[in-house]
Amino acid sequence: MNTISNSPQSEVHSLESNVESLGVSGTPVLRLEGVARDFTDGRVVRRVLKETTLDILPGEMTVLAGPSGSGKTTLLTIMGLVLKPSAGRIIVGGEDVTGFSEDRLASLRRQRYGFVFQQAALIPALDVLDNVLVGTAIQGGRVSAQTREKAISLLSGLGLKDYLSSRPQQLSTGQQQRAGIARALVSDPILLLCDEPTSALDVESGRVVLDTLKRLSRDPRRGVVLVTHDPRVFPYADRLLKMEDGAIVYDTRSAPTGGN
Amino acid sequence: MLLHDRSTTAGAVLGVVAIVFLVGQQLAVMFGLFTLMSALVDNSGADIWILSQNSNNTSTAGDLPARYVDRLAGLEDIEWAEPVIYSGAQLKLPNGRSQSVQIVGTTRPALEGGPWRMAAGSNDVLLEYDGATVDKLDLADLGNPKVGQVVEVNGKRIRIAGYTEGSRAFGPTVVFVNSTKAREITGISADRCTNILVKLKPGVDIRRAQAEISELLPKTSVLTAATLAWNIRVYNFTNTGIGSSFGFSTIIGILVGVVIITLTMYTNVLNRQRDFAVLRALGARQRDVFAIILFQALTIGCIGLLIGFFLLAGFLFGVKGSRLPANLPLWLPPAHALFTFLLCFVGSALAMRRALKIEPASAFR
Repeated sequence: MNTISNSPQSEVHSLESNVESLGVSGTPVLRLEGVARDFTDGRVVRRVLKETTLDILPGEMTVLAGPSGSGKTTLLTIMGLVLKPSAGRIIVGGEDVTGFSEDRLASLRRQRYGFVFQQAALIPALDVLDNVLVGTAIQGGRVSAQTREKAISLLSGLGLKDYLSSRPQQLSTGQQQRAGIARALVSDPILLLCDEPTSALDVESGRVVLDTLKRLSRDPRRGVVLVTHDPRVFPYADRLLKMEDGAIVYDTRSAPTGGN
Repeated sequence: MLLHDRSTTAGAVLGVVAIVFLVGQQLAVMFGLFTLMSALVDNSGADIWILSQNSNNTSTAGDLPARYVDRLAGLEDIEWAEPVIYSGAQLKLPNGRSQSVQIVGTTRPALEGGPWRMAAGSNDVLLEYDGATVDKLDLADLGNPKVGQVVEVNGKRIRIAGYTEGSRAFGPTVVFVNSTKAREITGISADRCTNILVKLKPGVDIRRAQAEISELLPKTSVLTAATLAWNIRVYNFTNTGIGSSFGFSTIIGILVGVVIITLTMYTNVLNRQRDFAVLRALGARQRDVFAIILFQALTIGCIGLLIGFFLLAGFLFGVKGSRLPANLPLWLPPAHALFTFLLCFVGSALAMRRALKIEPASAFR
């Protein structure tokens, strides 16, 4: 079983002093109220995410850490509107989206969310620029010249100007991950959700990606949530949450976050 | 996404090519045989054929009195009516063996129902007492007789007076002679014939004329040329094994194509589940995934159609003028293309089903 470190609790506490505290205020970009998730394993119903209440504020980078099976990916996918909770409410930008249809949730993800996946998850059939634009065109819409320019600008800013027409497999893992970040940003999302973005990267590439994400989290309109096992990430966190057994057991912000 | 994987794409395209070429080639040969089956009727120039009573095609017809032609002469609507003789016979080859032939005896001097295309010269050679024509494509079967060479058919001498080109029919080799020589060869008496061909005057209603002739000659079968041609095709298709043979091979072609398309498309979706999940997570709705799979299927269909039709055209060009009949009616290629697209859609249905079930959350696993 993977853990955050050999002694996760002491690791987290020792990092507490490194976590930046921005004192961010304002309307949460995302609010989870009593969200829980059950999975059925044959006849047995297992609660993999216990009732959780959580606000994600704009202008800060929230790092969600915990060992494998602790429920952090389940929580991330519920935040990302790709998994429906068994209980609770999801409020995005002040709007309750809990009862939204699949199609409305898909549209909401396209318009207001950005995702950075493990190993970038670029589409190998498309070149780098088209990979960045795929989210905007996925519902059959036309890609405007403005969006295209923005995508090129993002890729240039991430050091990928010379790779616009390259296939993902021609890029290094770090470059792929940066292209994935550009894809996540092209729709100017209010929430950027990153699933272990540095897990496949070497130290230097990981640092570049984390620096980029940190910089992006400074945008006062956007919240960034990053799920990781990687302790190298913790110093970048404005807010660090630790999960165990489907509940948030530690939060650098003193406010209670629920969980049993 | 499928199109990126060249080997997978090639597999799917191969499936479409298999459908287009195998099925198209089978259909071309089948329609070629259809054309050949009714060639004597289609090229006779007659609007109406009169057969012996209760016959609905030339293969099952007996003979009938030739004097019926005189009765028809009284009808205003008729431009001409001519008796013809169709009968099987044995042609003696130079090596002493026999070859089955179809004797077509046409009446002098009009020679209606005779050869419709000569390799050289005219069919006037049949005006000569023992003149006969055979088709160039059949010469090898007949021992390569030269023009002017005398051969024996049912022990009677005929002289090869000319070659036809494409004046062939389904079954044994056709030998055109005049009706006098045909009666001599077949033993059909001078007052009998096997069929009477009728040409109507321009503008005459064929159904009305058919009814009039039926009334005038109640002990005969009076059929329009189109009906007789259809009857001959159906008879041969169902009684010679051609139908089951072509039906079987066409179905095999379709099955092979559909299985290949289905497997390649399905395998592709299995291999690309993560990509589809990522697309779903990025905001693709189920109908967007449906559109992607459909687009892939149609793209593969288009590529396969182009290659398949190119091969098919090569096949048709290759067999043109050969003994293998092949004919692709104008309506068939678009119908075949439509059918192929339908099969591509069916072939991708399994992949579609799988792709639509992919959960966006699986992008995070």
